[in-house]
Amino acid sequence: MTAPRRTLIGVAGLAFLMGIAAFVVMINGEHNVHRGAFAGLFLATGWGFVGVGLWVWKQRPAGNIGPLMVAVGLSGLLKGLVFSNDSVVFAIASVGEVLIYAVLIQLLLSFPSGRLETRLDRLLVTIAYVNTTVVQLGVFLFTDSKAGCTRCPSNPLLIGHSEAAKVLEAAQLDISIALLGAVVAVLYRRWRSGTPGRARVFAPIVAVGGLTFLLLMAALVVEQAGLSSDISDAQTLALFASIACLPFAFLVGLLRSRFSEADAISELLAQLGEGGGRGALRDALADALGDPTLELAYWVPDQDAYVDADGQAVRVDPAPAGKVSTTIEHEGERIAAIVHSPGLAEERELVQTAGAAAGLTLRNERLDAELRAKVAELQASRSRIVQAGYEQRRRLERDLHDGAQQRLMALGIDLRMVRERIEHNPQGAAELLDESLHELNEATAELRELARGIHPAVLTNRGLHAALKGLASRSPVPVELLQTPADRLPPSVESAVYFVVAEALTNAARYSRAQTVTVGVVRDNGHVDVEVRDDGVGGADADQGSGLRGLQDRVAALDGRLELTSPQGLGTILRATIPCA
Amino acid sequence: MEPIAALRDNQAMRKTVLIVDDHPSFRASARRMLEADGYDVVGELDNGDGAVAAVEKLNPEVVLLDVRLPDIDGFEVTRRLLDANGASLQIVLVSSHDFTDLDEAVGASGARGFVAKSELSAEAISLLIR
Repeated sequence: MTAPRRTLIGVAGLAFLMGIAAFVVMINGEHNVHRGAFAGLFLATGWGFVGVGLWVWKQRPAGNIGPLMVAVGLSGLLKGLVFSNDSVVFAIASVGEVLIYAVLIQLLLSFPSGRLETRLDRLLVTIAYVNTTVVQLGVFLFTDSKAGCTRCPSNPLLIGHSEAAKVLEAAQLDISIALLGAVVAVLYRRWRSGTPGRARVFAPIVAVGGLTFLLLMAALVVEQAGLSSDISDAQTLALFASIACLPFAFLVGLLRSRFSEADAISELLAQLGEGGGRGALRDALADALGDPTLELAYWVPDQDAYVDADGQAVRVDPAPAGKVSTTIEHEGERIAAIVHSPGLAEERELVQTAGAAAGLTLRNERLDAELRAKVAELQASRSRIVQAGYEQRRRLERDLHDGAQQRLMALGIDLRMVRERIEHNPQGAAELLDESLHELNEATAELRELARGIHPAVLTNRGLHAALKGLASRSPVPVELLQTPADRLPPSVESAVYFVVAEALTNAARYSRAQTVTVGVVRDNGHVDVEVRDDGVGGADADQGSGLRGLQDRVAALDGRLELTSPQGLGTILRATIPCA
Repeated sequence: MEPIAALRDNQAMRKTVLIVDDHPSFRASARRMLEADGYDVVGELDNGDGAVAAVEKLNPEVVLLDVRLPDIDGFEVTRRLLDANGASLQIVLVSSHDFTDLDEAVGASGARGFVAKSELSAEAISLLIR
């Protein structure tokens, strides 16, 4: 036997005994005018709530609705003991007489999730508990029970019959009337603003609960007005008859909730069976859950992100403003999220059930979306490569124009002058020739540097090790070349490795303030791993600057991956893994 | 020793030139060439933005102006200079591009003419100016 089951049986036993005790007390209560009717109604109310509450508790052991319904039932039975002829039992029951209303308010405001979701809900429930315990005790301490009821037992807690009791009682009544009005308004608004399925679940509870509270308000007004006890008793009977119906209204609501879920899932499965193109699943889920604004986001593990049906990245956590997201798993694997209106947040179980029912279809659509995301990424990458090519050509043209070309133009002018001077001013011509040679050397150096940026000839002629040694020797930061593959790699891979190292060394020199950089290139198990590690200030961001983005595209074009790790103050590591059969 | 009057006549004949180009090696060669041929290079400038002020200050007769400057297009500089000084200011555009790339723009610019940098000589300039 599990602990919750023992609890349920224990609670059932307690309710049974309290019910019998209350029934006996009411039948024999000398100050109970309607003995039989009251006894029957109290028993029906108490046991009704406890019975339905225990069933709900068993069905949803994690929720609060079951225990709250049991608490309403037990506090109702406690109220029945107020008819006891024994002064101690009478006193205890009198102090707890109206507790049932506070518990009932908590139950109604927390239905169906079992949680008080809003600050207003919590405020109303707090006021209700203070009003039915602290204020109630205050009233009882200053009320002589014999004053208006000669057959009632004496009040053993009486401090002294005083006007304070009347003042407190009047305040308690006013608070109760205002409180009940507010609760009815909240329930009505909740019923109206919910989804159609939710409205169906709420309808019986709002109807019977609202009637109960209206009757209670009427009873309080009659009591406040001091009208005849016949009217008051009739209202009390009607009120308790209404309260007695409440547990069954909850039962109907909960069953409707289950049927509504079942209907929704059946409808969803039927729609999924009909097939349909892209977007059909979203539409089916939107119909089934009654939320036309619902959106689906598919989990793409490779990108560690959610995408929509077109493969475009979407934000799910946190959900967009005014939306709530529910994660959907299939066979323990996260496959999607449903982004829906907050109205569905309290029906998260339904959303998850619907998501699970659509699991297989969702999984297929996720694969579809994943493929689209990859296509989108490829398109973006291709576009960036084209753009990078364009920018590289522009840079090349600019470098040529501003560098070697200008030097050659100046050289041309100088050589023409040399030709003119060589006969009549050989000394001047020689000086100009020296200038020209200097310009020529500068132009040659600039062209060599430019050519290396396009493709380093040393890489083709002498291989990766020599090319990386060249990079290391030109780096302003000391570079330790740890290892390189002994054999030649495919030209595209060698080129990618060279430019990864070149970019990392350039960035280390410009931004890292590093003392040393280590470079390692290892060929292992069908791929080449490149690692460039510096001991600088870290804090590099792969999304900043076009250099790393260009490298990412260059590496991705070979089905490789580029990874930047650069915690603040702890240096930077740039790793690339490139397939190399 | 040359007679003072003859020296004065020679100086009076020398055209004053301002060179506007962002490449120091080209400016140095152009200055050498122009001065060897009797021009008086009164200033050099590496941008277009300061050209109007430089002309106002140095009052050159000729501006040797690169079409491609780092800040403002040489044609726009030509427009500003002519607006400020009128047609009396003689502007010779130079570029490392061929004339065929720029002929329409040069024709519409109001400059005296265009010389490709690869063909730049004092004689080519003298053919374009008054």
